[in-house]
Amino acid sequence: MTGLMRRWLAHAIFALAAFATPLLLSGNRYFAFIAGITFFSVLWATGMNLLYGYTGLMPLMFGGIAGISAYVTIGLSANGWSFWLAMLVGSVAASLVGIVLGLPALRLRGFYFTLCSLVIQTVITLAFVYFVNLTNGDVGISHIPLPELPGGRQLAGTAYELVLATIAVIGVVVLTVIVESSFGRRLTAIREDDGLAETLGINVTRQKLAAFFVASLFASVGGALYAPYVGFISPRSFDVLLSLNIWVMVAFGGRGTIWGPVIGAVILAPVPFVLQDYYTIKDVVYGLLIIGVVVLLPGGIVGGVKRKGRADAPAAVAKQAAPVR
Amino acid sequence: MTLLNAQRISMQFGGLIALRDVDMRQVAGETLGMIGPNGSGKTTFVNVITGHLTPQRGEVHFDDISLLGRKPFQIAAAGLTRTYQAVRVFSELTVQENIATALVDAARPLDSDGVAETTEWLELRHRLDARAGSLTLYEQRRLEVLMRLVQRPKLLMLDEPVGGLSSTEVRATIDLLSELKARCTLFVIEHTMKVIRELADRVVVLLAGEKIADGPPAEVLADQRVVEKYLGSADA
Repeated sequence: MTGLMRRWLAHAIFALAAFATPLLLSGNRYFAFIAGITFFSVLWATGMNLLYGYTGLMPLMFGGIAGISAYVTIGLSANGWSFWLAMLVGSVAASLVGIVLGLPALRLRGFYFTLCSLVIQTVITLAFVYFVNLTNGDVGISHIPLPELPGGRQLAGTAYELVLATIAVIGVVVLTVIVESSFGRRLTAIREDDGLAETLGINVTRQKLAAFFVASLFASVGGALYAPYVGFISPRSFDVLLSLNIWVMVAFGGRGTIWGPVIGAVILAPVPFVLQDYYTIKDVVYGLLIIGVVVLLPGGIVGGVKRKGRADAPAAVAKQAAPVR
Repeated sequence: MTLLNAQRISMQFGGLIALRDVDMRQVAGETLGMIGPNGSGKTTFVNVITGHLTPQRGEVHFDDISLLGRKPFQIAAAGLTRTYQAVRVFSELTVQENIATALVDAARPLDSDGVAETTEWLELRHRLDARAGSLTLYEQRRLEVLMRLVQRPKLLMLDEPVGGLSSTEVRATIDLLSELKARCTLFVIEHTMKVIRELADRVVVLLAGEKIADGPPAEVLADQRVVEKYLGSADA
């Protein structure tokens, strides 16, 4: 096997599985829909991974950025724009907002930035409720038309899920390319010690803002496609719970690894559907899952496996004994 | 040729005067030592020069460009870099990754042969795949220096390079640093007088934020004021 093939083997398998799933499930709209939602989760978890896993910033306004993009895209489409142009404008606009909302990260680190992002998310949600003219407030927007394809047909059903699969695959490939590039190296350096990174000549401000732009693109492309897919959006669709759900997927699967958040999303995104009949305990289960992840799997599934692999090697025993920061 | 020229640097934190009108000049190739009791402003001085702090007053010129108002990454690009008193490496990354990170935005990076040669010289080649956090303190100190050297700095400011090392390691570090003098200009903050005596061409003494002596080590270390205020009778 050539190096190139080995390097992209996992991606090829993932792409095959992603494209096969909607085709295999095309007979059952409900299952196909769960697959569609899972693709959104993969895309979003991968985007948040860039910030949370590789840059060390936990952005709880991630859902809000997806929402801004969704509302802008739907608003423009309703005014006669083609969906695809509206999505482009909406995504870029929301990502630019993402840069502005990332500005506190230039001063705040770790937990303090997370707290700040929580406040930002809350303000975004309140804005969605407040600007009734644009968002229809708490009532939300329903009967969102499906995107039109060239030739007048609508993107619907299995074709829609194939588009989502494509976006999810592109997202994972983009993250991989970033992580292996010098941009990714700079972000990892910032995660590890941003002061040292700056001393070594890295423009920390610029890199952080670039990370916010790229991660926000993941959020906003997902948000724009989410609205017509589900057909209904409200401020609740993009509140802090969405951000937290994505965060759990990233943490559960293993932040700072390419595949951890993908695995986290594939495992966790269908859970609410599975638990639908047990809605009284759904939140309890989810809460326990979050606590379990934080306590038992600080490195997530993939992180845990990696650590075990290292611990098996004799040279790594000393590392395990070293105090955890 | 004057490499670093700091004039009338004053830095105040609230009511505390950390530096008061400190002048300092360093020519290329000259190894400058800075000594002084804890809290006398040595690290603050390095922080000002490398852009981590903005002084209330003063001017800093490096290689004929003004450094004030520039950020640490820009100052690094100009060829002035520093290490920290408490060792700082990317401990979760491997030694190799640490080196690669130092190269990623280096303005004048060493070529790969140079990097390999420097890694060999600092005896870190067999540790390339080790996680930096798993290295011994002495290895981490060498990695810190390596990460600066691959950027080919014109001036390297070392903040207590032998802090926490054993006497054998101190000896070895002094030998390394004397060889390093041939590669770039050094500025060394130290409490260990042996380091200053053996390495420095000139010594500056800070006391409570003011420069009280400046001259060749033999002269400065015998200075009555320096002995009284800092060295005490034991070391002198």
